[in-house]
Amino acid sequence: MSVFSQNRSVPIFIGILILFALGVTVMSEAYGTGSISTSFTKVLGMTLCLCLAALAMDLVWGYCGILSLGHFAFFGLGGYGFGMWLMTARTEAVVRANLAEGVIPATEAEISDATALQIFSVVGAEDWPWMWAASDNLFLTLVLIVAVPGVLALVFGWFAFRSRVTGVYLSILTQAMTLALSLYLFQNDTGLRGNNGLSGLQNIPGAAEIGQDRISIWFFWASAVALGLTYIGAAWLISGKFGNIIRGIRENEQRVRFLGYRVEAYKLFIFTLTGMLCGVAGALYYPQAGIINPDEIAPIASIYLAVWVAIGGRGRLYGAVIGAAVVSLLSTYFTGGRAPDIDLGMFVIDWVDWWPVLLGVGFVLVTLFAPKGLGGLVDYIIRKPSREDRQ
Amino acid sequence: MPKRLIVATAMLALAFFAGPVSAQDRDLQDILQEHTEQIADPSRRTVGETLDALVATGHPGLPGFLTRWQSREAWLRNADGLFIYVEDEDADPLVLLDISTGERIGEAGSREVTQLRPNGGVRRVIGSALVQFQLNSDDPEVRLEALEAIADDPEESFLPLVEERLEVEEDPTIRARLEVVRPGLVIAFAEEDAARIAAIETLDGNVSLAARAILNRLLTTRRDVAADVPGDENIARLLVPGSDALPRAEAYDMLVEAELAPPLILRAEQRDVLAANIIDARVGGIPVQSLNTDAARDTAYAALVVDGLADPIPTEAEIAAVLEANVFFDAYREPSQTVTDAARATLDSIEARVGVYRFFDLSLDGISLASIYFLAAIGLAITFGVMGVINMAHGEFIMIGAYTGYVVQTLIADYTLSIAVALPLAFLVTFALGVLMERSVIRWLYHRPLETLLATFGMSIALQQIIRQIFGTQARPFTPPDWLAGAITVNDVVSISSIRIAIFILAAIFFVLLWLILNRTRLGLEVRAVTQNPAMAASMGINPDRINMLTFGLGSGIAGVAGVAIGLFAQVTPDMGANYIVQSFMTVVVGGVGNIFGTLIGSGMIGGLQKAIEWLNPSNTLAAQTYMILFVIVFIQFRPRGIIALKGRAAGD
Repeated sequence: MSVFSQNRSVPIFIGILILFALGVTVMSEAYGTGSISTSFTKVLGMTLCLCLAALAMDLVWGYCGILSLGHFAFFGLGGYGFGMWLMTARTEAVVRANLAEGVIPATEAEISDATALQIFSVVGAEDWPWMWAASDNLFLTLVLIVAVPGVLALVFGWFAFRSRVTGVYLSILTQAMTLALSLYLFQNDTGLRGNNGLSGLQNIPGAAEIGQDRISIWFFWASAVALGLTYIGAAWLISGKFGNIIRGIRENEQRVRFLGYRVEAYKLFIFTLTGMLCGVAGALYYPQAGIINPDEIAPIASIYLAVWVAIGGRGRLYGAVIGAAVVSLLSTYFTGGRAPDIDLGMFVIDWVDWWPVLLGVGFVLVTLFAPKGLGGLVDYIIRKPSREDRQ
Repeated sequence: MPKRLIVATAMLALAFFAGPVSAQDRDLQDILQEHTEQIADPSRRTVGETLDALVATGHPGLPGFLTRWQSREAWLRNADGLFIYVEDEDADPLVLLDISTGERIGEAGSREVTQLRPNGGVRRVIGSALVQFQLNSDDPEVRLEALEAIADDPEESFLPLVEERLEVEEDPTIRARLEVVRPGLVIAFAEEDAARIAAIETLDGNVSLAARAILNRLLTTRRDVAADVPGDENIARLLVPGSDALPRAEAYDMLVEAELAPPLILRAEQRDVLAANIIDARVGGIPVQSLNTDAARDTAYAALVVDGLADPIPTEAEIAAVLEANVFFDAYREPSQTVTDAARATLDSIEARVGVYRFFDLSLDGISLASIYFLAAIGLAITFGVMGVINMAHGEFIMIGAYTGYVVQTLIADYTLSIAVALPLAFLVTFALGVLMERSVIRWLYHRPLETLLATFGMSIALQQIIRQIFGTQARPFTPPDWLAGAITVNDVVSISSIRIAIFILAAIFFVLLWLILNRTRLGLEVRAVTQNPAMAASMGINPDRINMLTFGLGSGIAGVAGVAIGLFAQVTPDMGANYIVQSFMTVVVGGVGNIFGTLIGSGMIGGLQKAIEWLNPSNTLAAQTYMILFVIVFIQFRPRGIIALKGRAAGD
């Protein structure tokens, strides 16, 4: 039953996604009526990336039962990876233009040195750190966006699953991992510009004359395509035997192991795969956000990811997407200052201030009264006829 | 002048100790009148003589006058040439005071008196003359100040004064200071090397900063280059170009500076020279457009050198040859080698001792950090460790405890009293909050532990925001009382602030108290029973609901008390809890859940380790935290159940 409903959700989801993307395009400033501003297009594109990350989180937690509180670290790594290329290419173009004004044409070494100085002078350095070695090569960068989070997830997961760290312990361990990474990145001398982070990522190198209005739509589509493909892939992955095994691991790891399956290998695979997916999501997210800094991968970000999935409904792919989209869009709406204040006579409810309280209380209520999340509503609607059948 | 001062001092001593008959009898005014001209209009050169003469009288009122004179508070009455003080400089008319008795002797307009205004040089001479009085002052503060002045601006004449004082000084602080100042003076001024070496050796084992500074000053070197090793220099060491101590480029720069070698042409300079020699869009026959490689630039530059338009660049062989032909060395500024050897040996032995003290100091730091971690984690050791509730709002309980302290302090002005009130009050507030949370939310989630994480996380952001609404984002002051603000200083290496000692004591009390509650009381027994098997406990007549409620309240209340302690040294802000939550979870997990002993060991390990890493890589707390977390991650791989793992049924799953 569950397999069937998930498969049925795929065409519906893809259809909605295509309609949504087309709608946004038609209403965009660059290609349509302009009723959706460029900055809101970016918000929508970023939301799609968060949905992608939530989808990955749903696979690892909702289906395999591993509550990782560190998946935003992979998200951040993807962002940093792509950000390095964007920032290098962009800065180099600026430096080239500046040096071209000199009497003598600049050598490649001079351009490279000047670019490094431009990027790293903010942390008092002038040489390229080793981790930027691939930053001048787009192809290599694209590989690393997937490979770096993948390798980190693989190594971490191998250690953790091998020694049978499970449940709460694993959650805390993954949380420690993302905290360690963010503290590491906060240091000025580790090569990623400390707490300044990477900035100016919204500028696409070689596309200076193309406006942000068009670039935002391109990234929006890229995010939509990534989300759509991941959704289809994830639906396929969980529909077969593999899906049954990881669901089995979620329900009772011990029994699956006694049935002869190598539980650790399955967990490691799903952990690494979702880490890589988060890397891709991050790489698409930060060019739309324009800036990335170590604060982004603080432990709280990963907890939010888990909360989105919980609110949307664990163990169903569309649930994760709904949760991430609803909560992050509502957060943007209420903290953006556009929501009207509610005047209660003697007391004015200012949404910017009271939204976090409402959100927090909302988490509690959903956990207590709707353990299946918003996705449970969908169940309720779909299953109604089947109850009549039984009568 | 110094010699004369020594004589004067000797006479002064005589005057003081051999019965100063004449001085007592004579009036200070009369003595001063003998030197009227010099005092009224002193000069840097001659004032020394006058001072010697004055000091020689040994009059007890003299130091007071010299101090006033030095600070431009002495005046001269024009009419009769008497020295006087005035009551208030800005008053009109001025009230005149007698210099001996301090009584009012009349009034005068500002034109009838002259202020004595010795210039800077004269005031310094007066200052040195005053030192001998200050050194023998009854007030230890004054004596210490005089010693600091001597150390800052040593003069040979101070040596006998210091030695004299050393014989009679009883105050241990001043004595310790004297024992450093005296060798410092000997080292600086003694003529004989033997005396200086003896002085150096008296510093052996003295870890004070001042003693180390004296030796380090003696061992300062300057770097130089010469064709041959100079015979008249006290060479500290010879340097090989290309070694770590002296990179090749630096060595060559020294040669250039000493005009022993032609300057290198850097790429940037080369480009400027090329740019300055463009003729018809060509440099040295090469088109400007193609000068975008180093090779092309070198060719163009070589062409310019041939034409005499640019300086030749030294070749690699030339550089090697000129580096080979010269010696590079560090030479001591101190010419005597026996002295520098003795200083080096003494300094080495001091540094070895400093190393031991530093280790001791580091251990204290580690213990104090561990007690902070322990305090932060101990509440969690109960809610998470014993009950298995993943309480993400634990940090917010700490924060609310700290804010309770702040609020109490705004109501009760006395800091000591306010802390005494805040500690139990914070417990009550967070206990109540914890009970409320347990009753309303957590009790529904005991069978879904991972979901308590989500629910308590929701409460954590709600609580944080509510506190932010009430108190604002900026840090609130929560000030420790004076008796907690100081530090206990053993020596210049080892010191620990009182507040850290207080936190250590508090942590120790908590540990004992909790251990007693959990292991020696009815409540503790019931808590352990309920956590092991609620159904069985219930059938034995224990009310699991009540026990769970009390246990969660206890853990929350302790977090609140810890918050009061943490608020005393950390910033009290709405998001301060977030700084402790991950650390606390790690502490509990590393130690092993369900056991406050484990938490103690876990916090000791994490705190000690972090300080140890900081010691290896000083001034980088972030890196220390990073590596500490990495260590914890690896550690958990090998002991997934923590240091003290529960065995058997109690371990559950």
